[in-house]
Amino acid sequence: MCAMERKIIDFDQGWDYMQKGITKLKKILEGAPETPFSSEEYMMLYTTIYNMCTQKPPNDFSQQLYDKYKDAFDEYIKITVLPSLREKHDEFMLRELVQRWLNHKVMVRWLSRFFHYLDRYFISRRSLPGLGAVGLTCFRESVYMEVRVNARKAVIALIDKEREGEQIDRSLLKNVLDIFVEIGMGEMGQYEQDFEVHMLEDTADYYKSKAANWIEIDSCPDYMLKAEDCLRRERDRVSHYLHCSTEQKLVEKVQLELLVTHANQLLEKENSGCHALLRDDKVEDLSRMYRLYHKIPKGLDPVANVFKQHITVEGTSLVQQAEEATSNQTTNGSGFQEQVLVRKFLELHDKYMVYVNDCFMNHTLFHKALKEAFEIFCNKTVAGSSSAELLSTFCDNILKKGGSEKLSDEAIEDTLEKVVKLLAYISDKDLFAEFYRKKLARRLLFDRSANDDHEKCILTKLKQQCGGQFTSKMEGMVVDLTLARDNQLKFEEYLRDNSHVNPGIDLTVTVLTTGFWPSYKSFDLNLPSEMIRCLEVFKGFYETRTKHRKLTWIYSLGTCHVTGKFETKNIELIVPTYPAAALLLFNNADRLSYSEIMTQLNLGHEDVARLLHSLSSAKYKILIKEPNNKVISQSDIFEFNYKFTDKMRRIKIPLPPADERKKVIEDVDKDRRYAIDAAIVRIMKSRKILGHQQLVLECVEQLGRMFKPDIKAIKKRIEDLITRDYLERDKDNPNTFRYLA
Amino acid sequence: MHKLGRGHRDKLQQFITITGASEKLALQALKASDWHLEGAFDFFYSQPQLKTFTDSRHLEELYNRYKDAYVDMILADGITLLCNDIQVDPQDIVMLVLSWHMKAGTMCEFSKKEFIEGLQSLGIDSLEKFREKIPYMRSELKDEQKFREIYNFAFGWAKEKGQKSLALDTAIGMWQLLFAEKQWPLVDHWCQFLQARHNKAISRDTWSQLLEFAKTVGSNLSDYDAEGAWPYLIDEFVEYLNENGIIQNDLINDSSLKR
Repeated sequence: MCAMERKIIDFDQGWDYMQKGITKLKKILEGAPETPFSSEEYMMLYTTIYNMCTQKPPNDFSQQLYDKYKDAFDEYIKITVLPSLREKHDEFMLRELVQRWLNHKVMVRWLSRFFHYLDRYFISRRSLPGLGAVGLTCFRESVYMEVRVNARKAVIALIDKEREGEQIDRSLLKNVLDIFVEIGMGEMGQYEQDFEVHMLEDTADYYKSKAANWIEIDSCPDYMLKAEDCLRRERDRVSHYLHCSTEQKLVEKVQLELLVTHANQLLEKENSGCHALLRDDKVEDLSRMYRLYHKIPKGLDPVANVFKQHITVEGTSLVQQAEEATSNQTTNGSGFQEQVLVRKFLELHDKYMVYVNDCFMNHTLFHKALKEAFEIFCNKTVAGSSSAELLSTFCDNILKKGGSEKLSDEAIEDTLEKVVKLLAYISDKDLFAEFYRKKLARRLLFDRSANDDHEKCILTKLKQQCGGQFTSKMEGMVVDLTLARDNQLKFEEYLRDNSHVNPGIDLTVTVLTTGFWPSYKSFDLNLPSEMIRCLEVFKGFYETRTKHRKLTWIYSLGTCHVTGKFETKNIELIVPTYPAAALLLFNNADRLSYSEIMTQLNLGHEDVARLLHSLSSAKYKILIKEPNNKVISQSDIFEFNYKFTDKMRRIKIPLPPADERKKVIEDVDKDRRYAIDAAIVRIMKSRKILGHQQLVLECVEQLGRMFKPDIKAIKKRIEDLITRDYLERDKDNPNTFRYLA
Repeated sequence: MHKLGRGHRDKLQQFITITGASEKLALQALKASDWHLEGAFDFFYSQPQLKTFTDSRHLEELYNRYKDAYVDMILADGITLLCNDIQVDPQDIVMLVLSWHMKAGTMCEFSKKEFIEGLQSLGIDSLEKFREKIPYMRSELKDEQKFREIYNFAFGWAKEKGQKSLALDTAIGMWQLLFAEKQWPLVDHWCQFLQARHNKAISRDTWSQLLEFAKTVGSNLSDYDAEGAWPYLIDEFVEYLNENGIIQNDLINDSSLKR
């Protein structure tokens, strides 16, 4: 039996059948009453295409069918879709567009199924656009291209409406914009060029207009609230219906118009700008300012500048107040106002560090602004005192017994930590070190340090911040004191073990290492014989412990306990060594002239005048002075005052304080000269030949951690080194120096 | 015998007067520079000096004439006598030039070696030749390079033995002497400044750099660089000039001259 051959379908017949299916589909899309495709209908439509494509030539109609597929869309668009769009406007047109796009996608999906066989063979073999792509392209070329401008305008109009607070249909906008995205078929060019760029332009115009109005009528905080709200709402817009890739561009546009263009005017608004906010401690507004500007390139620079200026003004004002208060002080040299100033600097630093950490989120710009501001006013002098000196005095008050501060241990440690941080801003750290060392020496030597742990604590902090070299001498001093206590115990043991050795009076000696301690004058004071014996005994002891060290006595640091025998009662006098030596002279004489005292003690005028003042013209008049006035002169006569008395059994007679500022500053200047010389020699030794500018630059760089060398000082040192034959000028170029080995 | 035009003859005479050169040498120099006087000077000074034969015995006689009775050196009295013989004032700057030729270690002293070798280098072995050479030595101060050498030589020559610096009074005297030869408008201000503000000895570096300063920085100081490598004292001087309004006056003077 022969199999029945498949009947050949001619094109017209087949296409006529397909037309019926397409017509049915269109009715469905238009919402006309129409039954859905049954599976039989679907299979017949699919099979028809299959048959028409697989018949032998000339009955293979693949190409014709491919063309007809496209024609089906074109016809539908032309007859049905475009007319329906053209008759509508604005929002209604958008709705129609969305509906038409949905319908179109349904049509593409169904027809793609019917014509599926083409995709599998014909289209693949010929590398033609796929059925889906052809369908979308039809819509783009015919519909999208015609309506895109009006659609864009309508969308932007709705966006502006929403910006003005009106309710709009957000999902509608999302659907429309999805068309712009999908029409690009995987690329964003269509969306970007046909919609986004125009929307951004409109956004700029919108906010330009708003900003021009707001900047005039709003205070800075109100303006920032609006700006922040606008930014938030624009971000919200993106999340609701704009494509996510638009967010960055949109935000930048808004930032530009609201924040960048009017930055200066906004930040400098009188009574409400950045300066006023800082003045009035408007923390919330300043935080908002930071949030708004920190994402903008260089956006924070003006804020940081105002911050720096503000701190500088406040700090400088504190300096001026202290200056005025100091000149009004009745008690000269009390230094109280200067100490208040340091306390206020610490408070100011705390206050603005909170701003930097919280308001400004630890941003480096604000750390830098704070640092630069403090560097300005922390390096000013007050009543002749440098900050280095003020800071060291402040530490001294905290660390010494009976200081003006009454603080808990925790408070002391916290304050010392803050002081060390403040030191970072001071150029002349070497000056601080020298003043600090001087006061540390006094605390240690005269047993005026309140707490060993605090002394060690601050040295640890200073070491961390300024390096080991900075604190090595100070640490040496503290160690010396520990060793000295140990040494004293050994001395007492030595005296017990050697009963034939008798100093005659009690003696305590503190052995110090030269170099750790500030330099002290060591005069050849003519000691009373009682004291000479003591020294010899100690010397004998010391030589049993070390063979190769030389003892130099510094009497000016000593303290004596002397029993004064007065008519009424005996009084114990606690006096420095120099006045004590003078008093002992009166054991052998009732009256002595100034010159006799000077000769017998072998001291200079300055020291003699000072000690005699403390004994005759200060609080306690142990000696009677002729003539009876306050000024010590070389023609004066002194007599022991047997009638002296006091209600206390023990009194302390200090020497008038010597002005040590000048000495410290001179010492530091001398050390700086050495430091500059050493730096220059170090640099030239490694470079051999170097230009002047480069040498100065490297010198400043090397020394900058300790002090800021004056260019003139460096030039002087260079000349001195030339004179001393360490350097010479290059023969051919006087701006270049050579190292001489 | 050359027949020269009046212009050329005048130039020849001028050259001979200034340099003390022979007519033959003068003619040679002027021809080589195409009869431009300045060029002729350059030519003349750039030629290596032909060492003229000198009679050692005559040099010994000269030395013995001036040497001290007790020390084998020529000292102040001997120099005074020498100046008398060659008809030159002892304060004349030409004595500095002579000392430079002799490589004299210090002022008012010539060792035998210095004296004899110096005169040999100058081609002098008689008082007649010595007197003839005076104009030549004076003219050497007009040569830029030689002036610099003589200027820098003067520092070591004028300072006290064993010292590193030059006493201020001596330095001022030397500057006034030297800058009389090479005009520097600020020399008087400089000396006043030193006496008012510095009042200390002068270092060699400051001494030598001052000449560079005088040469390279205009008298209105507009091209002065305080952050350059100038010695500190010169920085101070510029500051002093500005403080006292001296530069303004000089500016006015300059513009007056230009009109």
